[in-house]
Amino acid sequence: MALLSGWWVAALALSVGVLFWFSDRMWPDAWLPRLEIPALLRASRVTLFLTAVSMPIAVALGLFLAVCRRSQYALFSWPTALYIEAIRGTPLLVQLFVIFYSLPQLGLYFETDLLTLDGMTVAVICLSGNYAAYEAEIHRAGLQAVESGQREAALSLGLSERQSFFSVVLPQAFRIILPPVLNDAIAMLKDCSLVTTITVSELLNVAEGIGRTRINRSQVLLAAAAIYLLMSMTFLLFGKWVEKRLAFSGKPKLNVENLKH
Amino acid sequence: MRAVVVDNQVAPLAPEGALLEVQGMQKNFGAHQVLQGVNLQARKAEVICILGPNGCGKSTFLRCLNLLEPYQAGRVLLKGRVVSEGKPHGHQPSREEQAQARALRRHIGMVFQRFNLFPHLSVLKNVMLGPVKVLGLTQGEAHAVAEKMLRKVGLWEKHPCDPLTLSGGQQQRVAIARSLAMNPDVMLFDEATSALDPVMTKEVFKVVRELAAEGMTMLLVTHDMDFAHDLPDRVVFMDQGVIAAQGTPEYIFDQRPLPVIQQFLSRK
Repeated sequence: MALLSGWWVAALALSVGVLFWFSDRMWPDAWLPRLEIPALLRASRVTLFLTAVSMPIAVALGLFLAVCRRSQYALFSWPTALYIEAIRGTPLLVQLFVIFYSLPQLGLYFETDLLTLDGMTVAVICLSGNYAAYEAEIHRAGLQAVESGQREAALSLGLSERQSFFSVVLPQAFRIILPPVLNDAIAMLKDCSLVTTITVSELLNVAEGIGRTRINRSQVLLAAAAIYLLMSMTFLLFGKWVEKRLAFSGKPKLNVENLKH
Repeated sequence: MRAVVVDNQVAPLAPEGALLEVQGMQKNFGAHQVLQGVNLQARKAEVICILGPNGCGKSTFLRCLNLLEPYQAGRVLLKGRVVSEGKPHGHQPSREEQAQARALRRHIGMVFQRFNLFPHLSVLKNVMLGPVKVLGLTQGEAHAVAEKMLRKVGLWEKHPCDPLTLSGGQQQRVAIARSLAMNPDVMLFDEATSALDPVMTKEVFKVVRELAAEGMTMLLVTHDMDFAHDLPDRVVFMDQGVIAAQGTPEYIFDQRPLPVIQQFLSRK
């Protein structure tokens, strides 16, 4: 818990406090019960779920794309390059619409409803597929950043290309890509609000719904923002912790074995 | 480009039943010929130092020997069996050839200038990786091998540390232990001390001397003239991609059979 102390909590408390203090000034009546915090928290579970499912898929798919992109065979590298550029070059919102609204129409033409997907499925497909393109570029940079001598050293021991990739290069690349990947995880958390447009009810959508019927709409939205902030901060702290754990330490690891000598 | 002058006076001691034999190795990068037919034999337990001006192909020669770089013509024999052959540019190695290359690398260890220890693994795990992944030893067996090798280089007490916490000399000794753990027939040292200060160089060479005393066959590319004068059984002088002269250290250093060797040695 030592990590929780310090600047992050201070910054969080300050920002949330300032927001609510100002809104309190504008609407001095008792507003807290009407914020429907429990409902908002329930809705935020959808946001968390979407990120928790889509981000790992995006990272894994991204690695696959990065490896294909680096392949010497045009059969692999070209389609991957095309996919990455197409996905990165179009808005996520458009991709959501295409999969959710346009695919079923195509299905209508072919007289099949296999292309009609429910909102949650489309959300996972789009979020993971979209972010995979970005993760692929991150992976590519990470893999390139590992010195070629590492691969050579592994090969010179007799390891196969595959073994040296998975046991030597990838673990090192992983440490390099961790900060940008976590950065993307936070971005995805917020991009989840876009899936509101394809009927998935998540945090922003619920906040809107509550706020629309009340006079304290701004406050409900601010409460939603605070919850987003809280989730991002949690991700960030988690990331810092993992990074710290994985860093190539400058100190010998202390364990019982060490003390024998 | 100046013509290559080759010293033919002292023929290389072609030993009966050489452990390692390189025949006519050629390598080029496009029009640039890096190795133009290198022939070399090494007996068991022989220590050979390879000298030569920058760009003469010494390092490339070692890297080709270990197949870290493909070469275009010639072949390499280990214990009388062909273990690799030159392939034209653009050749895609078959599965069989890849397996053959792995087998070759298992028997020919390599120590690099930049150590190349795996920073995400502890010193112990660095040494255990090869035996576990390649030789298929259990963790326990590999641990025993690693302990033996780390004790040999005098660094067992550092085994739980991260490699980057060690000094350069210590890292290089761990790299030697890592290579030794595969129980190679031949060890290649590619300027293993060029990145080290004199004190660390000494500690690495101390390990190399011990290995020599134990009968390890070694090929060393080095810029350390004192070492090249002292230890090796044979000194090989390379120039412009060929072996220009070879012989005992005394022959090369005292008689300086070629002008290019005179030039090279007087510059040092």
